[in-house]
Amino acid sequence: MQKSIKASNITFKYDEATIINNITFQIEKNSFITIIGPNGSGKSTLLKLLASNLKPQGGTIVLNDISLTQYSTKGLAMEMAVVPQDTAISYDFNVMDIVLMGRNPHIKRFSKETHHDLEKVKDAMVATNTWHLRDRSINEISGGERQRAIIAKAIAQESKVILLDEPTSSLDIHHQLEVLELLKSINKKQGVTIIAVLHDINLAARYSEEIILLHKGCLVTMGKTEEVLTVEALKKAYAMEMIIDRNPYTGSIQINPISLIKKSNQPQNKRIHLVCGGGTGKGLIQSLVEGGYVVTIGVVNRGDGDWEMASIYKLQMAEELPFSEIGEGTIEKAHRLADAADIIIMTDLPIGWGNLKNLDILYKQLKKGKKVYAFNNKNKFDYTGGKALKKLQLLKESGLIFIEDKEHMLHVLEASV
Amino acid sequence: MHFKFIIPAPKKGGLKINGGQMKIRIKSVNKILLLLFILFGVVSIASVVGAANISILNGIKIIASQIPIIDGLIDLSGIPDSHIFIILNIRLPRIILALLVGYGLSIVGVSFQGLLKNPMADPYVIGTSSGAALGAAIAILLKLNKTILGVGAVSIFAFIGALLATFIVYQLARVKSKVPVTTLLLAGIATGQFYTAIMSFIMVISSKDVTSIVFWTLGSFSSRGWNHVQIAILPIIIASIIIYIFSKDLNVLLLGEATAQNTGVNVEWVKRIILVTSAFITAFAVSVSGIIGFVGLIIPHIMRMLVGPDHRVLIPASGLMGGIFLIAADTLARTIIAPTEVPVGIITALSGGPFFIYLLRRTKKVI
Repeated sequence: MQKSIKASNITFKYDEATIINNITFQIEKNSFITIIGPNGSGKSTLLKLLASNLKPQGGTIVLNDISLTQYSTKGLAMEMAVVPQDTAISYDFNVMDIVLMGRNPHIKRFSKETHHDLEKVKDAMVATNTWHLRDRSINEISGGERQRAIIAKAIAQESKVILLDEPTSSLDIHHQLEVLELLKSINKKQGVTIIAVLHDINLAARYSEEIILLHKGCLVTMGKTEEVLTVEALKKAYAMEMIIDRNPYTGSIQINPISLIKKSNQPQNKRIHLVCGGGTGKGLIQSLVEGGYVVTIGVVNRGDGDWEMASIYKLQMAEELPFSEIGEGTIEKAHRLADAADIIIMTDLPIGWGNLKNLDILYKQLKKGKKVYAFNNKNKFDYTGGKALKKLQLLKESGLIFIEDKEHMLHVLEASV
Repeated sequence: MHFKFIIPAPKKGGLKINGGQMKIRIKSVNKILLLLFILFGVVSIASVVGAANISILNGIKIIASQIPIIDGLIDLSGIPDSHIFIILNIRLPRIILALLVGYGLSIVGVSFQGLLKNPMADPYVIGTSSGAALGAAIAILLKLNKTILGVGAVSIFAFIGALLATFIVYQLARVKSKVPVTTLLLAGIATGQFYTAIMSFIMVISSKDVTSIVFWTLGSFSSRGWNHVQIAILPIIIASIIIYIFSKDLNVLLLGEATAQNTGVNVEWVKRIILVTSAFITAFAVSVSGIIGFVGLIIPHIMRMLVGPDHRVLIPASGLMGGIFLIAADTLARTIIAPTEVPVGIITALSGGPFFIYLLRRTKKVI
């Protein structure tokens, strides 16, 4: 494949702040690339550098083997079109006038637009479904229509590269897909290289073949979508926990944000065993893991809410099949995990015949002299006809400490460290 | 009233776009012709309004007798010589000068508004006119009578003053690459008033004549003759053609400077040429008529409503309309309390001030 753009060691500073820090990459002809990264990662700046709207203080950008600085303004416009983020236009031109402006690099100063120019404009407008808007004022059509009109202008410019700065940022979900489908079809049918800054990682994953991931002006990684969109890379850039899987309907990679990673993630070196189930422990698991505790779980049933959350964090668990009574092996594993823990916590889970044995875990640890906490049950606790309540009474007598809620629990834990 | 691309839907056998394109040309040519017709009417009426009782028909005859080709067909017998003299040597040069100044200032207004993407820009508001007047006043104070390449020192100083004033206001008002309405107005008014104050001071010490200050700060065509037309005609017309050459670039610039650059417009270069040429036109307009405000603000707006924002039509249309407006304003200025003359700037400010407030209210949302 031929290279279209080569950026070598580009650096851009604004006053003292380094916005783009020594980035090197290559873009092949006819590719569909998105640039992603959190706010302030330098995405838009990188696009402006590629568009030659800004000049890098260091490094070079080469387009078709010629340095950007060697191009005349018109010459560059013939090779590359840009769709800006802000598409507001000061005065009331009609849509066709705007698209016709895309022909500017092809029309000499003292000549009129020809039949050929108008034909190109029409083709671009038909392709973007804006032909019916041709006589409307650019300021009275909707945001999605204006975005398409500006893309039509870029197509009419007949350049082999189109740069777009967040082309979907102000659009609803329907128009987002519409614009991206449009870009994909120009990319496929006309062989135009598309380089777009996108805010939405899932849209980037769905439409682009390759992704450039930026973080604080540095290139985290670049490559095929599947290779770039890894938990490790995204965690680094976005500072959050996420699950990456495939969308069952579209088959494309999708990112499910789970929680923020707290910056002060100091390891507590404390082990906590959590007895929970039915989703009663979700919030606590998250807070404890983010607080730096080593958390173990059990016994829980597979597929339940707490089990899912613990799986995301890859916690050690004593797990039992769904809707089954706790087996011998499983309870033993739970006891082992609890033995290793410094503190044991039970959420306000309802106790039935299936999970009654969980209470024995608490009893054993109380006898060992460990701190064992339980949440005050706001809902019905006992589904065993009094047996569970009896056990709870026993636990109370052995020193079980009751806690109001999650916040209270975290507070107590912090104090004990 | 935008001119429209009327393009029929494609029929079998290809699209027919040329027909539509012809319509655009005819439509905009029609509008320009209509303006020329109105201009001739206004010139004729303006030339006969006044103390001497001359009929419109005679006025038209006298003016037509000066136009080559048809001059042989005009019979001037029966018209008193004094009337011919008044029209040809007193009123006509004054009318032509008002036409030139109105034409020039309006074109400068159009190009400033396009370049700065700012509907409040105009040579008066952003201080270019005051800078030019200050330059002219310095030349007068220094008693510079020399001419360089046929251009008087007063005009050259006015040009330098206009250029400096524009540059300073532009730098003061600019926020990154944009020129917001608020900063432009503040910078323009502050510097403009400052230059006007210095200029008035210079006038007081040089001539001890307060009426000349009134002339410069409010603008007037009183006792202007063919020699003044001679000073202004070529520079203003040539400079307006230069601006017209860049009308397509001005269109694209309305998309924003970065987008214009990406669409093949060498933005910095175009900006410099337009600003320098505009300062040049303003300098010549000011050096023959003083500071006449608001023409460059009102006319482009009215014409944008009438012919649309395309600079290829807007520039000539605004130029002609500016001429028509200023001739009418000057006619009013010299007749409204005759025999005393009112400075024409008072008339333009009376009509322009309310219009300015209207625009400011309307664009408040944008600020």
